[in-house]
Order: sequence, then C-alpha cells, then structure tokens
Amino acid sequence: MAERILVVDDSLTVRMDLGEAFDAAGHATELCASLAEARHALAGRLPALVVLDVVLPDGDGVELLGALRADPRTAAVPVILLSSESEVHDRIRGLERGADAYIAKPYDAAYLTSRVTELLRKERDRGHDRAMDRASVLVIDDSPTYRNALCAMLSDAGYAVLSAASGEEGLRRAVDERPDAVVVDGVMPDLDGPDVIRRIRLDPGLASTPCLLLTASEGAVVEVEALDAGADAYARKTDEPSIVLARVAALMRSSRESMRRGSSASLLGPKRILAVDDSPTFLDALATALGDDGYEVVKARSGEEALALLAHQSVDCILLDRVLPGLSGLATCQRMKDVAELRRVPLVMLTSLEEPEAMIESINAGADDHVVKSGDFGIVRARVRAQLRRKQFEDEHFRVRDALTRKEAEAAAARAAAEARQVLLDELAQKNAALARHSAELERLNAELETFAYSVSHDLRQPLRGMDGFSKVLLERHQDGLDAQARHYLGRISAGAQRMSQLIDGLLALSRVSRQPLARRPVKLDELARKVVARLMDGDPARAVDVVIAPDLRAQADPALVESVLENLLGNAWKFTARRARASIEVGAEPGSGTPTFFVRDNGAGFDMAYAKKLFGPFQRMHAAADFEGTGIGLATVQRVVHRHGGRIWADSAPDRGATFYFTLDVPEAEHGAR
Amino acid sequence: MARADRPILLVEDNPDDEELTLMSLRDAGIKNPIHVARDGVDALAWLEAREPAALPAVVLLDLGLPRLDGFEVLARLRARAETREVAVVVLTSSDVAADIARSYRLGVNSYVRKPVEFGEFAEAVRRLGLYWLVLNEPPQTTEVSHG
Repeated sequence: MAERILVVDDSLTVRMDLGEAFDAAGHATELCASLAEARHALAGRLPALVVLDVVLPDGDGVELLGALRADPRTAAVPVILLSSESEVHDRIRGLERGADAYIAKPYDAAYLTSRVTELLRKERDRGHDRAMDRASVLVIDDSPTYRNALCAMLSDAGYAVLSAASGEEGLRRAVDERPDAVVVDGVMPDLDGPDVIRRIRLDPGLASTPCLLLTASEGAVVEVEALDAGADAYARKTDEPSIVLARVAALMRSSRESMRRGSSASLLGPKRILAVDDSPTFLDALATALGDDGYEVVKARSGEEALALLAHQSVDCILLDRVLPGLSGLATCQRMKDVAELRRVPLVMLTSLEEPEAMIESINAGADDHVVKSGDFGIVRARVRAQLRRKQFEDEHFRVRDALTRKEAEAAAARAAAEARQVLLDELAQKNAALARHSAELERLNAELETFAYSVSHDLRQPLRGMDGFSKVLLERHQDGLDAQARHYLGRISAGAQRMSQLIDGLLALSRVSRQPLARRPVKLDELARKVVARLMDGDPARAVDVVIAPDLRAQADPALVESVLENLLGNAWKFTARRARASIEVGAEPGSGTPTFFVRDNGAGFDMAYAKKLFGPFQRMHAAADFEGTGIGLATVQRVVHRHGGRIWADSAPDRGATFYFTLDVPEAEHGAR
Repeated sequence: MARADRPILLVEDNPDDEELTLMSLRDAGIKNPIHVARDGVDALAWLEAREPAALPAVVLLDLGLPRLDGFEVLARLRARAETREVAVVVLTSSDVAADIARSYRLGVNSYVRKPVEFGEFAEAVRRLGLYWLVLNEPPQTTEVSHG
C-alpha cells in the first residue's frame, strides 16, 4: 500500500506545488480544497499523513485537527499544520490541538517534504505495521469482570484492545505488540501495577509508552505512588467509565505531544531554529536567510513569547537578541539555561553592541556564542552551522555514552541478579544439607530409642519378676518363720515391684505412640468407645455405670491409637467415678461444623483446675495414690496421640464435680491448605 | 517313651527365673524330668545328642541368651529334620511385636510373655505344662526319621 498524503489547502498553487514535491519523493497524494472535502476523504481509508492549512474557506483547520484527535479512529494520524499565521500564539494553539508540526508559510518545499518523510518514518518505526486504523490499548487486570468491562468500553469507543490477566502476561504482550497506551490495575497477584510500569519504563522499546494506573483507593498518596512508579496518569476504578476513557484519550494525545517535543531525536532531520528579536524587519530577514540554508525558523518577538513556545516545542538552536522589550535578552537567556531540557540547546546572543563587556555578560548569562548584528547574515549562519554541528557531535556522543552506560547498568544488574541467585542457591543447598543431617540424626535417635525401649521391656522386667516372685514364695510357703510385720513388708516389696512393672508398661506405650507411623483411616469413635466400655464392664461387672455414647462420631485417624486414647480417658472416667452412687460417663462431640471436638465426660471426683497445667505431663498425678491408683502416664500418652494427629486436647473440671476432656484429631479447617 | 517320662528342656540363663519356673512346674504337679540349659549352645548340644524317642515333650525357650540367642536356637532346631517337629514355646519378657513375628516366622509353636506378677506367672507356667504335656498330642516319632 503506497502511503497516501492528504493535502488540504484552498490555494491551487500550494496544492499543485506540494503534489509535485511529494510525488517526486515517492508519496501518493490526495488534494482537497476545503474542510468538507477533507472530511469526505478522511471518512474512507485513512491517509498516512495530513498537511492541513489553517485558514480555509469553510472553517478553521485547527478545529478539524481537534476533531481528528478526539476520534480514536483518526487520533494517531500525523498532521502538519501549514499556516501563514506564524504568530507564536497561533503556533502554540496548533501544537496544543495536536499538530505534529507547524510550518509557516511561505514554506520551503524541500524542507516540508523532508519533515513529511521524517514523520512517516517515525510512524512506521513505532510499529504501525497494520493499516492506519485504530489506536491500540493494552488492558492489564487480574479481575476478569473489570477487565472485560473496560475492554468492551474501549472497543466501543473505537480502540483496538489487547488484554492480559497478569503483570507478566501484560509485559509480554506490551513487548510483542507495542500498544499505544497501557492501562494497568494497581493491585495484582504477581506483579502489581507500579511494578509493571517500572518495567515498561526500563525497556528501551516501550519506555515512552503512556501508562495509566488504575487504583481502587483514594487520596493523594495514591497519586504520588502512581507518578513515582512512572505512570503518566491514574484513574480510580470507582470513577465513571467515561472518565477512564477520557484519561486514555488524553494519554494518547500527550504522548504524541511529547514525541513531538523530542523531535530532535533524529540527528539527521531538518533543524528548527528559534529566532527572537523585537524588530519584525530583522526577524523576517534573518528567517529568510536561515530558511535558505534549509532550516525551519520559528519567530518570536519577545523573551516571553520565546519561552511560551519552548514549552510546547523543542528547537535545535536559539538566536536571541540582547535587547528585548519586557524580559531582557540576558534574563531570557538565563531562564532558558535554567531549564534542564533547554540547557544543551545552543544559544547565540545577537547584539548591536560591539563591546567586550557585552560579550562577557552574554557568555556569563549562559550563551554559547555571541554575534554582532549586521546586514550580512553570513556570520550568523556560520555560527549557527557551527553550533548545530557541535551539538550534533555532542548528541551523538551522549547517545553512545548513554547506550554504553545502559548496557553497563544492565550487565551490572544481571550480574547482581545472578550473584543474588547464587547466594540464595548456596543458602538453599546449605539448608538442605542441614536438613539432611537433622533427618539422619533423628533417624539415629529413633533407632536408639527403639533399642532402649527393647532392652527396657526385656531387661527391666526380669528383676521385678524375681522380686515379686520370691516375696510371694516367702509369703506363701514360709509363713511359719514370718510374723505379721514381716509378711506386711514382703507384701509391700511385692506391691512395689508390680507398680514398677506398670510404670514400665506405661512408658513403653508412650514411647511406642511417638515412634509408630500414623495410619489415618475413617474411624467411628462411637464403636471404639463401645468396645472399650465393654472391656471395662467385663473387668468390673459389679459396677453399675450409666454410659451414653453419641452415635456416628466420625474422624480420619489411626484406629489403634484412637482406641488407646479412649481406653485411657474412659478408664480414667471409670476409675474416678468409682465412689459415686450413680456413676455416669458420656462420650460425644460438641455441636458445630468443621473439625469436630470430641469429649469424654464423667461425674466423678474431678480435680482442681489450678493444677491443670500438670495434667498431661508424664508421672503427674492429681490425687494421692491412696485415693486413686494410677501411673500418671496415661494422659501423657493421650496427649501425644492427639498431637500426632495435629489436634488439641484440654480439660475442664472442678473438685467433686466430674471432669470433661475435650480433644480434636485434626488441624482446624482453616489451616488445611497450609498442610 | 511314655509321655510322663519325656523330659522338658528349659533354656533360661537367669537363675531367678529358672528357680521360679521350676517351682511353678512342680506346683502344677508336673513330674517330668527337667533339663536346664543356660545358653543356646548348650541347649542345641543337648538336643542333638538325644535319641528321637527321648526328645523333649516341650522346649521352654527364653529369647535373651548368651552366646546363641533364642532365635538362633529356634532356627537351627527347625533346620534339622530330627528336631523340626519338637514343640517349642518361647517364654520371654519381651512383648515387642517384632520379636513375636520373628518367632512365628521361624516356626515357634507358641509365644508366651512372662508376667511380672508371680501369681500370674505361676498360672501361665501351669497352663503351659498342662497343655503341652497332657492335652496336646505330639507328632508320632519313629525310630528312624527321614528328612
């Protein structure tokens, strides 16, 4: 598709002149004489560029420009305003409305053609491979609802819409598709909005992409954060959708403006010179002379005008008269050099005075050079050439240096990242090694425990058997030689041996519970409780105990271990209700959803809660041995089983008011995911 | 040989347990001759020297023995054709599941844990004696046994 340039000018001469010039440069042209014709032409296939006169028979070209910029379909088309109105304020107005360039008539055809070519090339370089249709917006938001709504709204407004559901995906699409603008959500699970924008700013190809940050929060803090991250603007998700739309449109426009402002980006393009002098005659003559050299000259009649213009457009060189109305030449020069962006623009001070002091003053004010005005512009032109050349070399130098610095910075960052990663890997390796060592140590300790438990069970019981055996043999077969006291003592020896045997049994059970693997299966605690109670009743048929077991108490647990829990708890309940006329024991679960809390309750002797802390410690007993015998190990075993299942156990009691033991056999529902 | 004459082999290294066991067997009215071996090597040597008809009615075998432990004795007994069918009861303090499993794997006839409490202990020995010496029918032995 040949690139078509639309030329809108009511002057036939201009149309034919430009038509020829562009044709010679290899562009196709379409010529219009009025705004109406132009609108008609624009309704069809969009041109690659528009050269637009300002004063037209049926209206103001700048108004058409405004309309073009407001319509997303045409917002991206480059427009050069061509105007005989070369007042600074006209120029500013045109640039503000969105013109890519403002060229004064009489124009230099060659200059204009080269600007056109430059603009077309820039558009192409921005990645507009597709036909000049719509501006594209990339929407990045993890919420599908909002994302779809925003995409639909942008699409209806005429934008080409790309979307991504995460920061990472968004960055990938931005690099691949080079959207004209990016709208990104502030809060996202992987990379949040500010991070995405920072990354975009770091990428040379994307750095100038306008970014709009969407936030859900209010306040100035958000704005500062957004701008801090490099966002060009921000909008709240709660705002009217039309506001977001308007912000996007504004972003698009201002990005074109800033591109224009930086249009000296091309080192080889035509140069723009700002000439500031209060004498219109001189200014015109100077402009003509410089125009012959191929420069575009922008005229300003005062320091204020010059500064106003520079706010909207950048220039390659400034020629500044020393003597100006209002703001003096020196003051203007100082102001210009104070602005960071303007400091490096060569500034040549023009003066009628040929005094060394004047020269020194100018240089001290920041001027790069000083030329005495004369009718012969040869010297001025030469100085301008020299300054432009110098600036060009400087620019190239800076560009190269920047590229190198950036490469160095990138390399350093990559190195730092690699080092950091290595440090983390090393730490990880160390931790893994420590973990392996600890595991090995645990295995070893476990094995030692096994051996210990084994020898305890074997070796400690034998002497006890001897003690008990011989005491009883004495009691049974040698009574004659023994008085009552002797028999009593023998009885106590025997009792001691048996007690120690029970303690050993308890300890072994406790140690076994810790070591054996936990096999979780569906378990019905009500059935297990019934079995245990049956055994208790078998062992003590004389007792009458009311036992109530709630039905259907289910859990995922190790059946053998849970049975030992119930044996211990029910055994205790059985034991401690021995003195009650009407003993009652209850097994059930607390009402409520989620992980069930089981309980075993009795109406027996109870205990003082002040000592509850000791309840589950091995060998801790709540009652004197004379009242209730027991090893004191049972509850320690119960606690260990419960903890191995990930549950909790606690008790509630008061002396003579029975006791309730509550326990769970699983971690609470909320923590399931963490396991 | 009549059953009442067949010996009992008690393999036990601890003198206290030995005395209590013998006492309990006598109290139970068991009059068979009892040979006591104090370690595995002696036990095997004694067994290997027996005539088939004079093999013991039951071997009461402790596990923790010096030189050769109870498992070894059991394994070797079962490895010899002559002694493969001799009744062996492991009588030990250990209630460790692994020991029980291993004993049965090696071919023990019965595994009994020695209680600490003497009354229970005496009762267990009495029942063992009555079962193996009176109630249980041992396998028939022939003069010449083939493997």
